[in-house]
Parts: sequence; structure tokens; C-alpha cells
Amino acid sequence: MKKVRNDQFFSNLEKFVNKVYPNQPQRRPYLNLKSWPSPKDEAWKFSRLGNLARKNILPFDFENQQDFNINKLIKDSISLVFVNGKFEKKLSDKLLSEIVIEEVQIEDFKEIINKFDNLSVKNHPTLNSTLSCSEKFFKIKFKNDIKFYKPIEIFNLGGTENTSIHPFIFIDLDKDTDVQIFQHYSTYAGLLAPFEIINLSENSNLEIIKIYDDKINSHNLSLTLSVIKEEANLRSFALIKGGEFTRSEMHTLLEGENSNADINGIYLSSGNQHHDLTSCVYHNVPNCKSSQIVKGVLGEESTAVFQGKVRVEKLAQKTEAKQMSRAIMLSDKAVSNSKPELEIYADDVICGHGATVGELDEDQIFYLSSRGISKQKAKVILIDAFLNEMISLSISDKFHDIIYNKTKTKINKLLTNEYE
Amino acid sequence: MAILEIKNAELSIDNKKILKGLSLNVNEGETHAIMGPNGSGKSTLSYMLAGRDGYELDNGSITFDNIDLTPLSPDERSNLGLFLAFQYPVELPGVSSTNFLREIFNSRKKYLGENELSHLDFIKFLRKVAEDLSIKDEMLKRYVNFGFSGGEKKRFEILQMALLNPKISVLDETDSGLDVDALKIVSEGVNNLKDKKNAVVVITHYQRLLDYIKPDIVHIMSDGKIIKSGDADLALYIEKNGYSEILNEKS
Repeated sequence: MKKVRNDQFFSNLEKFVNKVYPNQPQRRPYLNLKSWPSPKDEAWKFSRLGNLARKNILPFDFENQQDFNINKLIKDSISLVFVNGKFEKKLSDKLLSEIVIEEVQIEDFKEIINKFDNLSVKNHPTLNSTLSCSEKFFKIKFKNDIKFYKPIEIFNLGGTENTSIHPFIFIDLDKDTDVQIFQHYSTYAGLLAPFEIINLSENSNLEIIKIYDDKINSHNLSLTLSVIKEEANLRSFALIKGGEFTRSEMHTLLEGENSNADINGIYLSSGNQHHDLTSCVYHNVPNCKSSQIVKGVLGEESTAVFQGKVRVEKLAQKTEAKQMSRAIMLSDKAVSNSKPELEIYADDVICGHGATVGELDEDQIFYLSSRGISKQKAKVILIDAFLNEMISLSISDKFHDIIYNKTKTKINKLLTNEYE
Repeated sequence: MAILEIKNAELSIDNKKILKGLSLNVNEGETHAIMGPNGSGKSTLSYMLAGRDGYELDNGSITFDNIDLTPLSPDERSNLGLFLAFQYPVELPGVSSTNFLREIFNSRKKYLGENELSHLDFIKFLRKVAEDLSIKDEMLKRYVNFGFSGGEKKRFEILQMALLNPKISVLDETDSGLDVDALKIVSEGVNNLKDKKNAVVVITHYQRLLDYIKPDIVHIMSDGKIIKSGDADLALYIEKNGYSEILNEKS
């Protein structure tokens, strides 16, 4: 078999872009990235892309022939379906006038990207590959003359083991809007590179729940850049349970006073899975709050990473930033890494961080079993409690059970494998 | 008829002998008190009975209703009808008290082959039992033992005892950390559950609890063994004279 060069994907990508988009010079700057981040790169130290680099992956370039079942979590939600990275109008719900989906050009959101003066954003493989080869760039606009929005469910489907898919979405909330979005990642893609931009105008609220459940051979390198204006609220929650390798990377810029960002998540890792929650929150103005709270359960030989960074600029007095990571290990072969980073230039701030890693508490298991509950059931109860606390804290009550049920099968799998 | 028979129990932890040939018989309808100085092995005895990992016997035997307890796990022992009220009840953040109580109540019912109660019937039943122990609804909405005061934790133990209706209850230092009012509530709770078919073993430092839960037989434990047994007067004697005289008598 021919050996795959480490940068094979990037030359495949360049050939693809030259062939399909010969007259689109705005894509060319994003072809300058020629290789995967190396383990020497601080941002990728704990999440190595060697396995991905060894795959010979091509950007997906066929017509979609497959049928898909769209399994909505919420009955009256509006579904938007992306297959192989392309928006499928036929599979999506009929859009009423309340949501505007429009095609935009890179120029229309470049200014937002440029606000993230950070090398790990600029050199991110998802940003570069998706901006160079995604077929179309879509923006969903939520206008403030609409009183009530139904929840939106965005589905990312399709892909094959040897292809990459590149969905792009720009979520734009007008002033005073209140929106809930579920993002489903359920692809077969060798590489899924979803790039999302979120713009929250004054006094808008976005709750976004991302469910990462790609098939077992997939690499998902999700990247989200968010900009938050005065009095606006971003409530983001990631549930990571699928894929061979899933990294949910979020960069959040608080640029309006009294704004708030909660970037929380849960990972449930089994087999040889690698899960990574990476989050940077930039406090650029005073009187903002943020939290980055992550909990995980790891079994078998899985590995997980939490990288949380908070940067508080000199101007950003009265910042409150909270960071916490807790992991439960069900196997002594699993590995959990936690890397908190606080970069604080203001002097009147409250910033806290902490990390714990441990097994389930033997005293708690004994207490439950002394009441007639089997050891296995006791573990289920304790893990449920551990996750329930997190889910209650992170998302609206009305979505609590939906997300809790999504953790259920994975928890059972983790505990069954532990006993094999 | 004997519910519990311990014969020559020997047990070590980290290669240190803690129980050194302890024997104890508890019959239906009896209340026993085990008293002894710190480090005599009282809590080890309670963990050994409940079947905690690491508290397996080196020698000797324990039977419960003529069933050998030693190979059984803590949940199997609980299902048979053995209950341990913990000296330090364990906090379970994230586990709702009501759900927990319903879970343990129904699993015992199932074991006994009785019908489980519906959610509503259970709540009614729970309210009544809780009221007798001065446990407010608000407490049941909290997580198990989480942020409970010392007295609340002990009352919650007795609430579980009432729901499980065990054949034998071992109360490990249930009086520690209780003021007189709480002590009365807890003791009344235990006394109300007592009948001719079940038994109670009270492990305590002090005679104080025994003013409220009257023992039929008092045992003095020292250095991993029961060194003297007697009636309720033995506890009064200890209260007055301390342990040293009895301990010296033996050595």
C-alpha cells in the first residue's frame, strides 16, 4: 500500500479547490495551511492528529444518493439538514418567513474572524479547509420583529470514511431575540470540519446544544467563533459521545458590557475514543461573566482533554470567570488531561478554577449497596447524579430529560464493558 | 430463635488483627447494646456485618436466619433484612432523597415478593413515616444527606430503617452528634419499629442513648472481643465507673 504523506489531505484539498473553484480567489488564502498541527503545537499537545494524518482523505465531491431519516428531538422544532456539508432544502422543514437563510460570502464575516487574534484560530485546520472548500456559506438570521422562535435543530449527516465534509453556518441574532438551537453531528465522515460563527447582538439570548455523535471512525474537528454584545447571553452545552476523535473548540469574545457566556460540556468516552473540549473566553470589557464547566466519564482505553482558557484584558474590571473540570475514571487504562489557563491583566476580578479526576467513590457505592442496591445499579445512580447536576446547571429545564436520555445508552455501555 | 449468630469472628485490616474471636448471639425480640472504648473494633464489627469490601473474616462464621452471610454482598444482606445505620451517613450530591428512598423501598418489596407501591402511594406512605420522625417535606427534596445537619442525617437513617423494615438493625453510634431533643426523636423512631420478630443492636460509647432505647443485654467490647455481658445495669455501672475497672479485671 502506498504510504500516505502527513500533508496528503492538504494537497488533495488544493487540487480540489483548483478544480472546482478556479475563479474564486477569496478561497485561496485558506490554502496556505499545508499540514496538520503537530504535537509540538501547544494547542494540540494532548490531541494528536497522527491517525487522521495517515488517512488518505478527499473532500466529498459526489451528488448525494442516500436517504436519511431525520430524528428530531423536539416535536415542533424546525429542522435544517446538511448532508455532506451541503444544505438540503428538500430534507429540511419548510422555512416560514421567520427565519431567513441566505447565502453569504467570506467577505461578509471576515471581520468577525479577524477579531480572533489568536494563532490557534488562524491556523486551525477547520477554519482553513472549510473556508477554502465549502460549497456555500449560509447565514441564519433571527430578526427582532418576530416574537417567538421555535427551537431549531441542525442536522449534519452523510460522509464516508475516506472523505471530508465541511459544513459552514453563520448564526446571527438581532437585538432582543431569544433562540434555541440543537446541533447534531451524526456523520460517517473520515473528517468532519464544521465551522460556525455566532453573532449575538445587544440583549439577545442563544442557547446552543451540540450533540457530537459521529460514527466510530470519524474525526470531528468542530470550531465555533462567537462574538457577544452588550447584555447578551450565550449558553452553550456540548455533549460529546461519538467518533474516534472529537474536538469541540470554541472561542468566545465578550465585547459588550454585562454579557455572559457559559461554555459547558459533558464527554462520555469508551473504547479507544478521544474527546476534547477546548474553550477560550476573552473578556475584553468590564462586568461580564463566563463559565467553563466540564464533566466527563471515561472507560476502557479512552482519553479526554479539557483545555480551558480565560483571558481578561486590562480594561475588563469586575469580570467573573469560573472554570471547573471533573472526570470519573471507570478504568485505570483511561487518561484524562486538564489544562486550565488564566491570563489576567485586570486587577478587580473574580476568577476560579479547579480540576478533579477520580474513580467513583467507594463510600458512596457501599452506602447505596448497604440499602439493597446492587453495585452495578449503585454506579449507574452515582454517574446519573454526577451528570444530572451538570445538565441541570447547563441547559433549560425543558430540555433536561432529552439530553439526559441521550447520555443513558452510553452510560450503560460504559458500565457493561467495565464488567466484561 | 436466633436471628444473628457470630462465632469466633477474626478479621484483620492491613495485616492488623482487629477482631480477635468475637462471638455474639442475637435472638428475635431482643435489643442488645455493645459498648466499649475507642479502638475496640465496634465500627469494624458493623462494617463486617454489612459486608463492606475489605472487611472479610479471616476465621469464624456469621449466620443470619441460619444463612451463611460471609459470601453475600452488602445488597444481598440488606435484602435479607439486615440494616446498618451509619455513624457517618454518606452524602450523595445529585441523588434526590425521595427517589433514593423509593428505589430502596421498592427493591426491598420486590425481594420480599410484595407489590411495589405506585409513585403516589409511596409519597403518601413516605410523608407519614417522615412526619413521625419530624422530617419535613423540604428535607426530602434535597439530595441524600447533602448539607444535612448531624441530627438530620441520623433521622434520615432511621427513616430508611422504617422503610426497609429490617429483621435486624445495627445502629452504629447513632447518638453521636445529637442533642437531647434529636436523641429522643431518633430513639422513639427505633422503639416504634421494635417488635417481637425483629432485633436491634446498638453500638455506643455512652450510656445516654440507653436511657431511651432500653437494652435487654449489654456487652462490653475490648480489643476485638466481647469481654463481659450483662443486663442493663452493666451500662449504668460503666457510666459510673468507666471502662478501666472491667478492663483491668480481665487482664
